[in-house]
Amino acid sequence: MNKVKGVISGIEVSGSLSLVSVHCGNRVLKSIIIDTPDTLGYLVQGADVELLFKETEVVIAKPGPLDISLQNRIPATVFSISKGELLSSLILNSELGKLESIISTAAVTQLKLEPGKVVQAMVKLNEMMLSPC
Amino acid sequence: MITAELNKKLWSAQGGMELALRFDLGTGESLTLYGDSGAGKTSTLRMLAGLLPPDSGRIVVGGETWYDADKNIDLPPQQRDIGFVFQDYALFPNLTARQNLLYGLRKGEEDFLEELIAISGLGELQHKKPGQLSGGQQQRVALARALVRKPKLLLLDEPMSALDHQMRNQLQDFLINAQQSYGLTIILVSHDLGEVIKLSDRVAVLESGSICKVGSPAEVFMQHKISGKFQFSGRVLHIQQEEVVWIITLLIATNVVKVVVSEKESRELQVGDQVVVASKAFNPILNKV
Repeated sequence: MNKVKGVISGIEVSGSLSLVSVHCGNRVLKSIIIDTPDTLGYLVQGADVELLFKETEVVIAKPGPLDISLQNRIPATVFSISKGELLSSLILNSELGKLESIISTAAVTQLKLEPGKVVQAMVKLNEMMLSPC
Repeated sequence: MITAELNKKLWSAQGGMELALRFDLGTGESLTLYGDSGAGKTSTLRMLAGLLPPDSGRIVVGGETWYDADKNIDLPPQQRDIGFVFQDYALFPNLTARQNLLYGLRKGEEDFLEELIAISGLGELQHKKPGQLSGGQQQRVALARALVRKPKLLLLDEPMSALDHQMRNQLQDFLINAQQSYGLTIILVSHDLGEVIKLSDRVAVLESGSICKVGSPAEVFMQHKISGKFQFSGRVLHIQQEEVVWIITLLIATNVVKVVVSEKESRELQVGDQVVVASKAFNPILNKV
């Protein structure tokens, strides 16, 4: 599980859903949750939180503009790659710290990923969990 | 309302230990004492029952003082309005299951006896003596006997450890009903996380004789308060590496499920560990059957 620390900078509520913006360094990451400030005590502006997301939910793209719905985008550099036959684990260095991504080995080959390469790590907002810290 | 303040020097395999506890419990509430062996859970129950004298402290139940070291009050167990089930059951060996229950029955409560016998599944076994019953069956008799007087305070030390899943579920439901019907206050010692979550309003975690954490089961066991709405508690059955990921097989209630984790997470897990499984409500799919 990847963990990124941040501060809640925005909460948009609609019914029982909240779209939470979390300031992490210079970047804003977003999470959609089934909770509101009334049901979740730490859901307040300025609260310290951690964003949690699975390695298997981290999408890897080459840098540059992309016509794609994923809005949580973190620039990173590939630090190391462990290749399995079907799956590979990528350790990434980013401004938010070390992240791990598990993608198919075929994709590693197709994108010609190797240590030192610059990439974008992307996560859907419905894959981000929140936890107070 | 129960107020307990208990201080006692205990001796365990690890050496001497100072037990020092203080807790309040509302009428009709249930509290679970949770912690490692030797943390002082059973000793606490025994002190509440009057079977083990504290060194100092106070026990007040519903305005009645059961124990007060300063005032030299120490009611014997039979004068404390309690029911208890201890790990060794302590049934009368020469009486049948039914006679064991009858022993504690108040006059005019015969209907309740029949209800207890039915719900504990003792109908066929009621005329057998403890020696003819299995461990699980004896445990059911002990639980029914503890309830037969509708005590103010019910003390349960691993009361269902010898029962199979189905009987355990049935008696847990029965306990919840009995608690609501008779306003029972329950103090439970259990290691079964599912049971703790189902039966207790509050959990106190004991460590070396003192309470290190107290709160609702969700607050105590789901420490991270993760926002994920798809949460269960389970037990690790198997850990297996597949290429760059680890597949953890978990038992959640009676279901076996598998969860993929990273190498780092797998290193923190061992077979037998209790875990909280969390996912976002957006991920699972539902298939009508």
